[in-house]
Amino acid sequence: MERYLRSALIAVALLLLQTTFIPYLSIAGYLPDIFLPWLIFVALRRGQIESTVSGFAVGLLQDIVATQFLGLAAFSKTLTGFIAGYFFHENQVGQNLGTYRYVLLVMLGSVIHNLVYFLIFFQGTEGSVVLSTIQASAATTLYTAVISVLPMFGFSQRYHTSWAQ
Amino acid sequence: MVQRIYDILFALREYVLLSVLLIVSLILLSLNDNVQIKSIRSFATIVLGVGQDQLSFISNYFGLKRENELLRRVNIELADQANQLREAKLENLRLRQMVGLREQSQYSLVAAKVIGKNLTLLRNTLTLDLGAVDSVREQMPVVSEAGLVGVVVAVSDHYSVINIVPNVDFRASVKVQRSRVDGILAWDGKSLMLKNVAKTLDVKNGDVLITSEYSSMFPQGIRVGIVSEVTEQEGTLFKSVTIAPAVDFVKLEEVFVILATPNAERLELDQRAHQRFGR
Repeated sequence: MERYLRSALIAVALLLLQTTFIPYLSIAGYLPDIFLPWLIFVALRRGQIESTVSGFAVGLLQDIVATQFLGLAAFSKTLTGFIAGYFFHENQVGQNLGTYRYVLLVMLGSVIHNLVYFLIFFQGTEGSVVLSTIQASAATTLYTAVISVLPMFGFSQRYHTSWAQ
Repeated sequence: MVQRIYDILFALREYVLLSVLLIVSLILLSLNDNVQIKSIRSFATIVLGVGQDQLSFISNYFGLKRENELLRRVNIELADQANQLREAKLENLRLRQMVGLREQSQYSLVAAKVIGKNLTLLRNTLTLDLGAVDSVREQMPVVSEAGLVGVVVAVSDHYSVINIVPNVDFRASVKVQRSRVDGILAWDGKSLMLKNVAKTLDVKNGDVLITSEYSSMFPQGIRVGIVSEVTEQEGTLFKSVTIAPAVDFVKLEEVFVILATPNAERLELDQRAHQRFGR
């Protein structure tokens, strides 16, 4: 129970950060999605079911406070959490979290999430939906992956692993 | 049968869960315009707003430098505009007052700009941008909309120098407007004084002083100043009356020269009176 409460608090804290601090890190209008590194962490640490539910929960939370489509972030993050859950290995938590593999998984999760998200998001807008999706996905994925280096170093210290391992 | 379904669902629980959550998400996507959903979202926005408010110092900190630069630039622009407006307003006010003064005066007045100031306590003078070619002559009175400024003491073709009221060489015959008490206005190097006022005469703080009809140099009725202090001098018959000049000489920018030279005969008489009463 305590674990879920802690997860909920972390989600709320991330939401506040995403809406207050992160917008100041905007580069050419693109922002990193700090929920994704956390979601990948949940997937690698706790497994597929928890990451799927977490993805849905934080996505829904994001949807509720955003003025965009309700359910869109929930949909894409549920899918991301589910796919990321395939990389859960109980005996390799430290190796997965404290090394560059974590960044690669964040990148993979981000690609999946952003492709789904932006493909629906750009529907009905002027211009090429595919081009806009690729552009936004690439930028956001790269930025999110760069941001995920910070927790990777943290996990590396926590699990006593070398990040280049 | 139920047990078998349960077993299958349990075996495929990840997929079942994923399907349920995706279906819920899709349902939510179709309910975007629902009134209840909008209410929930607005409530969530309010709750988040409280949190954001507590964390606003973060955005404040990050936006501070940019905001500072912007505000500084805007401040400079506005200060510049305000200065221009203030200058225009003051000039407008001065010119209006001067036009009013010119219209009221029975004398011929010529406007001059103060182009130099020599405020050294004892012999304070102003330099004007008018000279002999503008019909300015020595001994001509100089006034502003506020009152008496001084008298022309030196003239070149295009410039003139005036002894202003706070000058040890300046004298003027003045009177208290209220009680009609006469006296001689003089600058002692520190204060403007009304001299030769007997202790029995009625002079009070706040009394307005104007040029007297006895003055051979200045037209009658020009405002000179206000009595700021009256003290009894022990061992003498006179009061010590300190005057606050009507004109702010530090801020003075435009004046009028009264194109009228004093009557020589009266001037001579006045000078004799100065010599008699002494400084």
